[in-house]
Amino acid sequence: MIGIDYSGAGLPVGSRTSAAHNNALRAIAAPGAWWSGPERLAIVQETRSAPECPVCHPRAPSTFATIDRIEHDGSNSLPPEAVEAIHGIRNDSGHLTRRWFDHVIAAGMRPEAYVELVAVVASSVVVDTFARGVGLGLPDLPPAQPGAPTPESSKDVVDAGAWVPIAREGKFNILRSLAMVPSARDLFFGAFDTSYYRTPETRFALTRPQVELVASRVSAMNECFY
Amino acid sequence: MSLRESAKDTGQKADLKLVTGSISDRAGVPNAGLLVELAEAVAGWRWKEVAALRERGGQDLGPQATSDAILVASGFNGITRVADAIGIRLDPHTADASVALRANLGFNSFAPPEKWESSTA
Repeated sequence: MIGIDYSGAGLPVGSRTSAAHNNALRAIAAPGAWWSGPERLAIVQETRSAPECPVCHPRAPSTFATIDRIEHDGSNSLPPEAVEAIHGIRNDSGHLTRRWFDHVIAAGMRPEAYVELVAVVASSVVVDTFARGVGLGLPDLPPAQPGAPTPESSKDVVDAGAWVPIAREGKFNILRSLAMVPSARDLFFGAFDTSYYRTPETRFALTRPQVELVASRVSAMNECFY
Repeated sequence: MSLRESAKDTGQKADLKLVTGSISDRAGVPNAGLLVELAEAVAGWRWKEVAALRERGGQDLGPQATSDAILVASGFNGITRVADAIGIRLDPHTADASVALRANLGFNSFAPPEKWESSTA
């Protein structure tokens, strides 16, 4: 099966989660705003192979403040700055810095393309982590859909001190974070949707403190200050 | 909502040291030790450990709760990457909800000033 069939998992998985994750994979395979379908699938493949990169693992956190040009053991189908971004986000997101981001942009990536790349990487991390977590292999990726990207860059954003402009309105910065590229925002929060109390329909067989404990522990493990 | 606030809602008192890995099943959250181990193993992509913890979870938490814990951990494995890769600042709502967590557990050390220092500044 292309995508994910959670019926073979060793644990029960709700239909909303199954639908959300399969929708995310299908969306990734389609042309985005700044990356084509084949490029977005290459971003997922690079995200999956990044943990094996020999350049990343001995990397000191300080290199994220000083990088000049790092050649990773990675994809030939993506620009080097995209490979650098994927490896940084996948392998050590807690140590990323503004200077690192500036280098990625100076190397030739548009901020909007960066935002979309972040959404694709993070969505694939959500789906792949869950699939492996419930005892399945990595999901097969759908075939890439043809077509060129449809550029989008929201004007409804504002400089709020983040590395890129974020949504003008909103209570929580995390929910404003990907607004520069609305399709990227929709992709990520679609994949994430059932993982937290995003909608009134969300129910867990855990108590709220148990959910918060798991969430907080993962945030601490990833050294995420937010 | 932070761990401590949500624990208050249920009439329990959570020990925030749980979040940094000082685990104890007496810390105010039922099955806290198992949940912390599972969160760590999932976020660390340690699948053999996850397999063993799935078995324990099935018995101690129940299959659906174990699946849900893995789902939450998977989601936060992604959303933490969004927060860190976009370089968002702490908003007042999140700050208010996590004052104790930050003060007690050193979360602020995850946001050194150089995180936002531009190379063009």
